[in-house]
Amino acid sequence: MSPLLVFQLRRVARNRQFFFFTVLLPALFTVFFTRVFAGTPGGVSPEQAAATMVAMMSYGAIGAALGATVRLSFDRASGWLRQLRVTPVPQTSVVAVDVAVGMLLTLPPVVVVALTGRFVNGVRLAPGEWAGLVGVLWLGSAVFVALGLLLGWALEEKAAGGAVGIIGTVLAALGGLWVPVELFPSALRAVAHGLPSYWYAEVGRAAAGGGLPPVPAVAALVGFAAVFGGLAVLVARRRPLTAVAG
Amino acid sequence: MPPDALALSGLTVRHGGVLAVDRLDLRIGRGETVALLGPNGAGKSSTVSAVLGLLRPHAGTVEVLGRAPGDAVRAGCVGAMLQHGGLPGEARVGEVLHLVRCSYADPWPLDDLVATTGIGGLLGRDVDALSGGQRQRVLLALALAGQPPLLLLDEPTSAMDVEGRRAFWTTMRDLADRGTTVVFATHHLHEADAVADRVVVMAAGRVVADGPSAAVRSAVAGRTVRFTAPGAATFDRVPGVTGATRLGGTVALATTDVEATLRALLADGVALADLEVRGASLEDAVLSLVGGAR
Repeated sequence: MSPLLVFQLRRVARNRQFFFFTVLLPALFTVFFTRVFAGTPGGVSPEQAAATMVAMMSYGAIGAALGATVRLSFDRASGWLRQLRVTPVPQTSVVAVDVAVGMLLTLPPVVVVALTGRFVNGVRLAPGEWAGLVGVLWLGSAVFVALGLLLGWALEEKAAGGAVGIIGTVLAALGGLWVPVELFPSALRAVAHGLPSYWYAEVGRAAAGGGLPPVPAVAALVGFAAVFGGLAVLVARRRPLTAVAG
Repeated sequence: MPPDALALSGLTVRHGGVLAVDRLDLRIGRGETVALLGPNGAGKSSTVSAVLGLLRPHAGTVEVLGRAPGDAVRAGCVGAMLQHGGLPGEARVGEVLHLVRCSYADPWPLDDLVATTGIGGLLGRDVDALSGGQRQRVLLALALAGQPPLLLLDEPTSAMDVEGRRAFWTTMRDLADRGTTVVFATHHLHEADAVADRVVVMAAGRVVADGPSAAVRSAVAGRTVRFTAPGAATFDRVPGVTGATRLGGTVALATTDVEATLRALLADGVALADLEVRGASLEDAVLSLVGGAR
């Protein structure tokens, strides 16, 4: 592993808040939401339990992907990226490592929430369905890694931190990760269909059901990834990482 | 013949509409210790940034040890302390140092590097817990991590106390004695004087004086005679005076010989109201140099 990747992972690992919000909180929500549904008339169906688990895997992964990559703006604000620029560490590997860190850190929430669903809430899937579910959510998180890089690149330190919190909440609430989209009024449902988080959970639900990801969902995710990635490249061209504010 | 440590030719840097460096030509040979001296806004930092490849010059060429700036940095030929450089949060000093040392083919042995820069007790410390002076020492260790043949330091002592400065410049002298080319930007005349063999004075993006530090010192180590004089009398021809400026009723004369200047003024019957004699500030010195170059 590259020394820079080890270094970056160690820094995030030191951040307990990060793991609380991206791993522990979604796992607790999985248990909590399932218990709430269990109290409603008719109780909780296995499908509902699975859907809640998938929604929380998505929620955790989105938070981790955004939270890991937006750190770019902190490192720019501190002058560290500028300092790194005058060492032989190539600039391309700085960005590549941030992408890799973002992708790696989406795995803990996805896996921990899956384990919570399986062992606490008794969600039962075939081994192939588990693998497919974890696989598509991991790959799909690239959309949010791209969004986090875009925000980190475009915004100042404090704005970036706030933006990630707000955007993560909006993506979760309006994308149907907290309350299923089926319960939304139709206007709000249309909004959900305009968000990457909805399509992200949709490929997860399909995978948990043993099906192939629906074509519109995959197309939407690829489209969002391309837009976020393209914008990030545009911003990066206009504003080098080594630039100092002011 | 090996290439110069630095060869700048026609270097022009603009920040938006502001001309920061104006057709600068400068050559620095290997093993020289050179101070880039000048007031704020003289173009020192922009020059350093261009040499490090941190900004793209508007015009002109930069060669660092015969290479393009980016290539020289990637080859590990350059170490730098930046004015706006920084350390990463949520990391320990030892981890940062390890990362940077790993990036060089032939890093400075850790024990010796730690002893030289005086960061022995800091390796296990969180970066966020360092004092200003400690941060500067860690940044120096990062700059030296690859034993680079060329060191570029942009206002390196700005966050240091007196003792820290002294230790810092002792280290720089040792490095220079070992053959390292040291180029540093400063606006402290005495630092330039005490450390550098050669002083390059910059003002408004251009070189206004360049020479052995003793020569530049004598050019800039004049004094200023200041007094209030009514009317439009001019004092350019008074003995010793190298530059005269007038601000309202106040006349400021830069002089290399205070005594001769004052005698001449008194002999001419000039009333020396509000008389004041001071050592020349760097701004005065630069003004007199700019005046001398005209």
